[in-house]
Amino acid sequence: MKYLVDVDGERIEVSIGADGARVGGRVVHAHLADVEGTPIHLLRIDDTVHRVAVRRGTERGRYDLWMGGYSFRVEALDERSRVIRELTQAKNGPKGPAPVTAPMPGLVVRVHVIEGQQVVAGQGVVVIEAMKMENELRAAADGTVKRVVAVQGIAVEKGAVLVEFERVSGPDGG
Amino acid sequence: MFNKVLVANRGEIALRVIRACRELGVQSVAVYSDADVQAPHVRDADEAVRIGEAPSSESYLQGERIVEAAHATGAEAIHPGYGFLSERAWFGRLVREAGLAFIGPPPEAIEAMGNKTAARKLASAAGIPIVPGTTEGVRDAEEARGIAARFGYPVLLKASAGGGGKGMRVVRDASDVEPSLEMARREARNAFGDEAGYVEKYIERPRHVEIQVLADNHGTVLSLGERECSIQRRHQKMIEEAPCIAVSPELRHRMGETAVAATRAAGYRNAGTCEFLLDRDGAFYFLEMNTRLQVEHPVSELVTGIDIVQWQIRIAAGEALPFPAEMTPRGWAIECRITSEDPANGFLPSTGRIEYLHVPSGPGVRWDGGIEAGSVVGLHYDPMLAKLIVWGANREQAIARMHRALDELVILGVATSREFHLRVMENEEYRRGEVGIQWLEQRLPHLLAIGAPEERRMAAAVAAALLAERDRDTRRGANPCSPSPARGDAWLAAARREGVR
Repeated sequence: MKYLVDVDGERIEVSIGADGARVGGRVVHAHLADVEGTPIHLLRIDDTVHRVAVRRGTERGRYDLWMGGYSFRVEALDERSRVIRELTQAKNGPKGPAPVTAPMPGLVVRVHVIEGQQVVAGQGVVVIEAMKMENELRAAADGTVKRVVAVQGIAVEKGAVLVEFERVSGPDGG
Repeated sequence: MFNKVLVANRGEIALRVIRACRELGVQSVAVYSDADVQAPHVRDADEAVRIGEAPSSESYLQGERIVEAAHATGAEAIHPGYGFLSERAWFGRLVREAGLAFIGPPPEAIEAMGNKTAARKLASAAGIPIVPGTTEGVRDAEEARGIAARFGYPVLLKASAGGGGKGMRVVRDASDVEPSLEMARREARNAFGDEAGYVEKYIERPRHVEIQVLADNHGTVLSLGERECSIQRRHQKMIEEAPCIAVSPELRHRMGETAVAATRAAGYRNAGTCEFLLDRDGAFYFLEMNTRLQVEHPVSELVTGIDIVQWQIRIAAGEALPFPAEMTPRGWAIECRITSEDPANGFLPSTGRIEYLHVPSGPGVRWDGGIEAGSVVGLHYDPMLAKLIVWGANREQAIARMHRALDELVILGVATSREFHLRVMENEEYRRGEVGIQWLEQRLPHLLAIGAPEERRMAAAVAAALLAERDRDTRRGANPCSPSPARGDAWLAAARREGVR
């Protein structure tokens, strides 16, 4: 089976078959063995061994890997699944920039934006306090504030939506 | 010696003190909040007392409840660890008035050193060098020039209420004093509505070097040598080492004597630390004294062979220090603070359950941790999970060893600072020891942008594809427990055969 693997923003094609793995035009022996009772796997590529710690993501094909002093957030999908995922993502895309959510439970100490306000990518929108530290949460993309959910002085759970955006309206109403 | 000691802290430092008690044959009492019912420090103590709800204001900062717990369990002394109540003079008094021993300095010494301004005055009176600066506003450029000539250039012109770089100007020669003073005043007027100007000696690219001291109740005050703590982010130390590459034996002797003089001047007892700025010409200036055990004490322990925590307890129990006045550090020690902060995400704190923990071991590796697999990392307390400390015969070996140990370390479940530390250990400037207190802030964007080399990314892609292939087989209804391959895939068959061989 051929997989399209996204690693650090780069797409790498890997074919897994009876002859091992084909990667970057090279055929190698590749073998993954479990270390029982742990999330550790032993990856062999020809005679090279790698210790790989694996955490499965919530979506199919997504893994967090720790190996050789680096961590990787990877997505490995066969061609058909890749096409389907890209289509669904494209469909979800135009809804607007991702909302700002709480990366951890904490206390909302300041809200910097109001509804209808234009923001640019990287602009601080909400400050939440957790572990005695204030953390500024920023907008991921340019947009207009659609709804401010966060209220100063209120504790929020991890993942709670704090501010929602809509795309800056263009000539086509975007 | 005491029969029983109460440890008024949590996490790695509580465990550290409990271990010292065990080795001394002293019983230990842990205290815990509702968030720490099953914490390692509770299980490793001989007795444990609940002192309140999860927020530290309701538990670990409740001095009276802690003293009550000591009375209830028959503990004779209280070790405060660091943080929480360790530098609260009132708590030291409360403990003393309850007829218990406080394993730390007397409250009077905490007060004498607790306030930065008071500590500077005390140090200055004892003839200890401090960063020269004016305490009253300067009238004009002429007066500023006179003062600058006395301190020596460069100097810092700053506004009284200044901070965050506003209203501050570095001046390198006399002709720049007038325009810079004007500019500093203008900025200060706009930012703070106050335009008084002050002159301070500007220390170029200083290191943060501190001296560990031990003082007993029999008049002996010892310097255990220096620690280099320049690798800081937002004034939080990240990496510490002992000794310091910029400190010669002669400088160590002078800094040690100075720290001992400051300790005596404050009437200090037990373990303490004098912090200094060390400039590039070897001149040093007293900053403040930390009146407690420091997070980074293990690096001093490893190069001196002295168990500082055990000696804190022994000193409080009345024992005399038996060590020589002059100590030469042996080898090199480095400590990395492993925190639940995500370097890739602006060091935001990360929370969750530790799903898996593999602690490094082997020659010269020490792990002072407060977590285990299953531990929940919440938001109530400090994000420090553990300290990884190594010892090597020299700095080069210590760095290589730290890199190896960090490589072995696996923590799954929360994001950690592990990879940040790996990148520092790989950095050429760090390896040459060319660091100062601004080094990390300047290099951080570069350090965090370093990606994995090509062949590592290829290996990760292969690992991901093999995992996806396996997950695909599982989904197709193959029995994952079956030893035989689910489909007629010769490579997988071979792999499985090899796996069970």
